[in-house]
Amino acid sequence: MLETFQNIFRIPELRKKIYFTLGVIFIYRLGGHIPTPGIDPRVLADYFAQSTNSLFGLYDMFVGGAFKRVTVFALGIMPYISASIIIQLLGTVFPYFHKLQREGGEGRKKITQYTRYGTVLLSFFQAIAISFFLQSITSPVTGMHAVPAGLMGIKFTILTAISLTTGTMLIMWLGEQITNRGLGNGISLIIFIGIVARLPGAVIAEYQQVAAGTRHPFMELVVVAVIIAMTAFIVLITQAMRRIPIQTPKKVVGTKMYAGQNTVLPLRINMAGVIPIIFASSVMTLPGMLIGLIPGMEMMEDISRLFAPGGIIYSIIYALLIIFFTYFYTAIIFNPLDIADNLKRSGGFIPGIRPGKKTAEFLDNVLSRITLPGSIFLAFISIVPFWMMGGMKINFYFGGTSVLIVVGVALDTLQQLESHLQMRNYDGFLKKGRLRGRRL
Amino acid sequence: MSENNLSIKIHRTIRRWNGSTLVWDIEAYRGTVEAIREEGRRLVTLTPDQIFGHAHRFREEIRSGVDPDTLLVPSFALVAEAVRRVLYIDPFDEQLVCGIVLHQGKLAEMQTGEGKTLAAVFPVFLNALCGRGVHVLTFNDYLARRDAEWMGPVYRLLGLTVGFVQEGMGITERQSAYRQDVTYLTAKEAGFDFLRDNCRYDTSHIVQRDFHYAIVDEADSLLIDEARIPMIIAGATDEPEEQLTPFAQLARAMQPERHFSFDAYGRKISLTEEGIDFVEQQLGCGDLFTSTGVASLSRLYHALHAQYLLHWNVDYLVSGNRIELIDELTGRIAENRRWPEGLHAAVEVKEGVPAQSRGAMRSSITIHHFIAQYPKVAAMTATAEQAEEEFHDWYGLDTVIIPSHRECLRNDFPDRVYRTRREKGHALIEEIATVHATGRPILVGTRTVRESRELADVLIARGIDCRVLNAKDNAYEASIVAEAGTAGAVTISTNMAGRGTDIRLGGSDGKDRERVASLGGLYVIGTNRFESRRIDDQLRGRSGRQGDPGLSRFFISLEDDLFVKYRINELIPKRYIVTSADGCIENAYVNNEINRLQRIIEGQNGDIKFTLGKYSVLIEQQRTIVASYRREVLATGKAFELLRVTARPVVDNILARLGGETTAAHCRTLLLRALDRSWSTYLADMADLRDGIHFRRFGRQDPLHIFNSLAIERFETMLQEARQAAAGELERLCVDGPRRDSPVIDERHNPSATWTYLVSDNPFEDNPDLQLSGNMGYSVFAGLLWPLTAMMLMMKRRGRKS
Repeated sequence: MLETFQNIFRIPELRKKIYFTLGVIFIYRLGGHIPTPGIDPRVLADYFAQSTNSLFGLYDMFVGGAFKRVTVFALGIMPYISASIIIQLLGTVFPYFHKLQREGGEGRKKITQYTRYGTVLLSFFQAIAISFFLQSITSPVTGMHAVPAGLMGIKFTILTAISLTTGTMLIMWLGEQITNRGLGNGISLIIFIGIVARLPGAVIAEYQQVAAGTRHPFMELVVVAVIIAMTAFIVLITQAMRRIPIQTPKKVVGTKMYAGQNTVLPLRINMAGVIPIIFASSVMTLPGMLIGLIPGMEMMEDISRLFAPGGIIYSIIYALLIIFFTYFYTAIIFNPLDIADNLKRSGGFIPGIRPGKKTAEFLDNVLSRITLPGSIFLAFISIVPFWMMGGMKINFYFGGTSVLIVVGVALDTLQQLESHLQMRNYDGFLKKGRLRGRRL
Repeated sequence: MSENNLSIKIHRTIRRWNGSTLVWDIEAYRGTVEAIREEGRRLVTLTPDQIFGHAHRFREEIRSGVDPDTLLVPSFALVAEAVRRVLYIDPFDEQLVCGIVLHQGKLAEMQTGEGKTLAAVFPVFLNALCGRGVHVLTFNDYLARRDAEWMGPVYRLLGLTVGFVQEGMGITERQSAYRQDVTYLTAKEAGFDFLRDNCRYDTSHIVQRDFHYAIVDEADSLLIDEARIPMIIAGATDEPEEQLTPFAQLARAMQPERHFSFDAYGRKISLTEEGIDFVEQQLGCGDLFTSTGVASLSRLYHALHAQYLLHWNVDYLVSGNRIELIDELTGRIAENRRWPEGLHAAVEVKEGVPAQSRGAMRSSITIHHFIAQYPKVAAMTATAEQAEEEFHDWYGLDTVIIPSHRECLRNDFPDRVYRTRREKGHALIEEIATVHATGRPILVGTRTVRESRELADVLIARGIDCRVLNAKDNAYEASIVAEAGTAGAVTISTNMAGRGTDIRLGGSDGKDRERVASLGGLYVIGTNRFESRRIDDQLRGRSGRQGDPGLSRFFISLEDDLFVKYRINELIPKRYIVTSADGCIENAYVNNEINRLQRIIEGQNGDIKFTLGKYSVLIEQQRTIVASYRREVLATGKAFELLRVTARPVVDNILARLGGETTAAHCRTLLLRALDRSWSTYLADMADLRDGIHFRRFGRQDPLHIFNSLAIERFETMLQEARQAAAGELERLCVDGPRRDSPVIDERHNPSATWTYLVSDNPFEDNPDLQLSGNMGYSVFAGLLWPLTAMMLMMKRRGRKS
């Protein structure tokens, strides 16, 4: 294991990729601390300390705190994702984009180009919206405006729009650089860094609590143990899959059959990834936002209190939503009929099961069964942190969602590292290019 | 040298701005060419002996370590002088430039008829001086022989020896050809000899030397069009004969659509529910879709494939008692090629020819990896520009475009597009008849041999005399194509036939040139668009050589195979398909759209090549390891030592009885055979793994990563197993009573009894939705945008269904 890690740095190409990635990450973190011009950070801090809007919190987590500090990277990579989703959507509606999507290399280049233009456009509009929002902010404590009066108006809007748009384009470029020349997927890593960046601060805070005597050391041990257990659990579930063996007629030569049992259709327990949680949490912010938007709904206050994070009702609804979205999303991305059709066309079948309808039914059955624990798992890891925060009075930075994301990105990046080692396998560096033992 | 005009300059600027590797600017070469000319003037008075002496001096200098680049000018001048004396040709400046480009290891684009064969002689001479052998890879056997014989006198005057390789040559002939300073041969022969050399059981049977420098002619055909199909050699195995007739009968009894459905272009078959019941009842074998039923299923699929998807005269011919495959791309018979595994046997049963021995893949290499074996490679073609990026990315070849000696006067008319095939056929015949009546020569380029014949039949029925190239004999074809420019000639051929042969106006002697030129020169008609613009251009390029007038035009229909095959004819909106009375669609939009569709096909094919390429990298590394391990075993006593470690008592036993030399020989042979078998099984195993690897994507695994992981794992056990197996055989030998004669190997295991496989499947499909849950960063923000994301997924799903 240790030797493998040494080997990573012994391969010049890989070493360069790692240093490059670290360099880009450093630039990203640096930009996450440069505020947009003309804003009073104290007012902002006061405002967000009072704000109950959990959507802000969620978003802030993914951009590494850049949103609440309103830095040049406040928009993060989101406009880019919006643009690519919109382009994909256009592909289903307009034949022109559909054809581009099928055109191979040249078409992909064009789509990337359109996505970039779209990103500029979207981030510009979002930045304008944010500039209006910032101009409306006053500190609940001092009553001061976040933006000085002299700067208010069109000047501030243009300034903010330009700096935020530039920031987003830079992040997009940084992400692409990591994907192309560094290690791992740029966009994933940028989110990963945003979350992990809080780790040192959190550790120090915990330490200070213990040192100051406000937290019993034993209690602290329990907290650490719970964090480790949860991480291990998440790794386990993320990797867990059901391997359905596939047989293809080609596998037969004469009377002899190859022993190879590696044609496998894997189904993950957590097929849907992190999406259901984020779907659910953005839905959960809706009631609060609606009440905020429609004035004169004081009678709704009571209801909205029920939806306050951490409450029992909140938790139950949240959990149910996650389970619902897991099924919803899995059903959309993984259509057993499509898969059965795909299998049939490539001549494969699941031993003992007829191709076509029977196979689709079988896959559907298996999928429904493994999705249930998968969805409960997702609900569990998103709710437990809330309870712990409430019950143990722990300032719990590391919710299950963020650990899930961190684990997912880390595993992917590790795999990329492994792929590089594989290619160098026969240069005398390694016996095996594997970093961890696992059935494939 | 023709002046660079404005459009070229603009083009060049744009290209540079886009970071292109293309070189239009041949100004840089002008100085060198002047120097060569200058030097050449001093050589005019030399006697033949003095020329030989000069060449000899160059050779001495190179062998004493002088950099060949410093000898470029004098050696090119010497070659030019030799060419002038032997062939009575004064090489053009363009040919000298081409020679320099080739020496630099780049790709030269030179128009048809500008004398590429001659241009290659210059760098060949310079690089052959070191004595390590230069290969000129030609397009076919006929050209290898022709060029070697044509240029031979030049080389001999310069003191170099020349050889060529032809299909069907024996080991000694090949060895002698490869020992020459210069060897003309096809890339296929070179590649298969390379593979076979890695399967020899005797060092004296190895035919090739280490590679040094190769010039690839018609580079785009070989390095791009044919690179899709890897070179695979297969050898006979000891598999027992099978009873396939019942499956062939069953296949004939089944009805398409009712019992099974197939995709004629994807070459895939699947049984319907009714078909499954029918088969299970007919065979009485119980459930087909189990681990035991799969053997019958496999044979049935092969029988159905042979019966309904492979057609006599399109995919194969029966000649004598053998099935001969027709190459899809070249339209000619591919010698010693078979379909893999059971399919070939199924076709034999279908046609009632006796079964040949069954085989297994012995070794394989892609064109790309094979070309990489040469430390230095150069290439030339008439159609490189469109594929310039691909040449750079895959082969590290920068493209230099050499302007033609005289400006090309050919007119490329826009396509005539028809709605249906029938309407296209009518228009085509009318056009040929009208033009033929004027006496203008016509060359018709078709897609398949069958299409050629059908067209010829119709033309002959109309009383138009025409000649058809029949995909059988290169030399015969060359002689027909050479006459295609004769007044009144109508020549029908597939795109590839007769390449490398000049079409002179007025026939090969050019007697009638003026008359034919006044009629407008050669008229090239394409009856189909091809997979890429580049291949279209190959056909167009048959006309308009060296400033001749000419005309080219394609007649296409929306029902053409190309468009139906890729199911993209549906992409043209119906409202544009408005036809005139004869069914011709006269609409610039449709013409543009067709160019676009062709780009889609190019893109998709490029993606397939790219994906397959990624899967071949690791296997190629392993092939190299096995090859060098094998060579060591073959050349040394390593086998003895290795087996002694593995099975000491057995080896010692034999050693005591037979003595050192025989034991070592036995060990060597057995280990080599075991190694070959293991490697063959391993390759088949990996091919299977690759076929099904795309299912991994459904579980968000990276297929390539899994493939490589498993390949590494299995490769290690493979080498172990080979040693174990060899030890086992040795033990059996010991029990049987050791013999003095070698335990090898009947003729069938000899690598000369090999053939190639036709594989061209693409198991990879894209599934963009999975990207959402796979790429964490993408997922997170797509989740935040849940209304948008949900909408996208719903629309996608609806789109997939329809």
